[in-house]
Amino acid sequence: MSHTLLAADRISVGYGGAPVIPGLSLDISRGEFVVVVGPNGCGKSTLLKTFARVNKPTSGHVQLDGHRLNRMRGRVVARRVSLLPQSAVAPEAITVGELVARGRHPHHTLLRQWSPQDDAAIAAALERTQLTDLVRTPVASLSGGQRQRAWVAMVLAQDTEVILLDEPTTFLDIAHQFELLELMADLNAEGRTIVAVLHDLNQAARFASRLVVMREGEVAGDGAPHDVLTADLVEEVFGIGVEVIADPQAGTPMVVPHVRR
Amino acid sequence: MSEAHRIAREPVLRLGTLIAVPVRRRTALVGVVLAVLIAATATATLTMGLLSVPLAEVPGVFFGHASPVALRVYDLLTGPRLSVALGAGAALGISGALFQSVTRNPLGSPDVIGVSAGAGAGAAYVGLYLPGFSIPLGSVLGAALAVALVAVSTGSGLANPMKLVLAGIGVSAMAMAFTQYVVYVAERDQALALAAYLNGSLNSRSWDHASTIWTVLLACAVPLLLLSVPLGLTEMGDDVAASLGVDAAVTRRWAVILSVVLAGGAVAVAGPVAFIALTAPHITRRLARSARPLLLLSGAMGALLLAAADLATQQIAIFEGLPVGILTLAVGGAYLGLLLVAEWRKKS
Repeated sequence: MSHTLLAADRISVGYGGAPVIPGLSLDISRGEFVVVVGPNGCGKSTLLKTFARVNKPTSGHVQLDGHRLNRMRGRVVARRVSLLPQSAVAPEAITVGELVARGRHPHHTLLRQWSPQDDAAIAAALERTQLTDLVRTPVASLSGGQRQRAWVAMVLAQDTEVILLDEPTTFLDIAHQFELLELMADLNAEGRTIVAVLHDLNQAARFASRLVVMREGEVAGDGAPHDVLTADLVEEVFGIGVEVIADPQAGTPMVVPHVRR
Repeated sequence: MSEAHRIAREPVLRLGTLIAVPVRRRTALVGVVLAVLIAATATATLTMGLLSVPLAEVPGVFFGHASPVALRVYDLLTGPRLSVALGAGAALGISGALFQSVTRNPLGSPDVIGVSAGAGAGAAYVGLYLPGFSIPLGSVLGAALAVALVAVSTGSGLANPMKLVLAGIGVSAMAMAFTQYVVYVAERDQALALAAYLNGSLNSRSWDHASTIWTVLLACAVPLLLLSVPLGLTEMGDDVAASLGVDAAVTRRWAVILSVVLAGGAVAVAGPVAFIALTAPHITRRLARSARPLLLLSGAMGALLLAAADLATQQIAIFEGLPVGILTLAVGGAYLGLLLVAEWRKKS
């Protein structure tokens, strides 16, 4: 029996000009923690945005639970799939609480701009990102790390079964990076499907249940981190010689680059 | 958790099970203050000066049982003038709020994409070459033509704010050059009449003008209501908006269309009154410290500013008889200057 939740079927996606993704197929199953890695400009963000119905494929289609995304209303998709993009802009004067509350928008209607579930979802999102005490603080006065956590909290407040994250650890120090990744792992353990774009191959290997390696808009490797992350593949995709050893703590593959000095 | 419940949000206004809308305390307070000030300004406009309605008779004129003199003064003079001031001010305020949100620029206004300059050129053309044709109608057509030119020249319609502003600067410059040319070649009397209109004036307005602008406002009410929340979400970037189920390009296109219609309506009844569209939404958002565009309150602020400026031109001796647009230009220009200095200080 199939557990496929999100299915990209031979999608081409571009922004005018040559497509960034020229015909890619990828199925995401319910309950997976998929990490997408690949060199800059390989189409990782574009893929994530296409899964969230932000970008529309020029050919092929994406299905959510068997329904074509581009035949569903945006708000309906947004109740089931959330995305943290890289391009988020916080409006001037917005507070942490107001920003997080905006994640509830898909659950509202024109006349009902508040629902009884809002309070619990917002409070839980703030608590999981440790922002409860900063709820009235303007986002503009937060540190870079706190700001990133506020955006993550907004996505959590959206309370969706699929969570897509585009480089969520950017701007975070190493402790907060792992805190966030552990939060993702917890959410995954609670049954949510996670797809994240990460740059750090070692973090990817450590947290992913499935690793997808992209190159030039195509899938160059797909499977358990242990099977996918080999020295040959990293050299072929990223163009850098590496040695792959076992992470001394977790045993997952760990990439050590061959560099001068 | 229960503590977080209480501090995470503002009170919710509930009517039955159908309607539930969160209301920010500070926004509500600004709304109440604006309502009081508008009422005061309106009362002053009706009761001050030689030809006016005595204060005691003000309630009477609305219900038609005041003295015949008071009724006549209200019907022919102060009533329509006040109504046009409030309506045109509100339209300009909302128009500016829409445009500032779309361009994510506190200095944005529909004038940036050539609404006023186009209106001026349209009025000038009609005034010179089509005597007898309605000047307000000419100005609306001019504004529409200018915006259409802008939309065509961006190559992406009205959806891309940066391109809109760039194309708007070009089209505005051409329209202003045309207006200057017309004023230069026109007869002296014609040029004077035109200059009065081009400044924006509320002298001798009729109930026809009032019903025109209030019809435009009423027609825009439902689309504005639909647009209000999505517009705020598009300020977080197109990708965030889309991931919350809002199509940013569609939202922006409608916002620009409504902005142009409202500004066009105001220009038709009051001429291109300067700076209301820029200052009203800006002041409102600052006072309310709001993270989202406040369409209704910006409208109220615009109505207050224009009515107050018009009251000043009627009652303060040195401004007497001046077109209200010259006063808003002077005050608005000073405000813009202060704003630029403040922004510059903040950045350095």
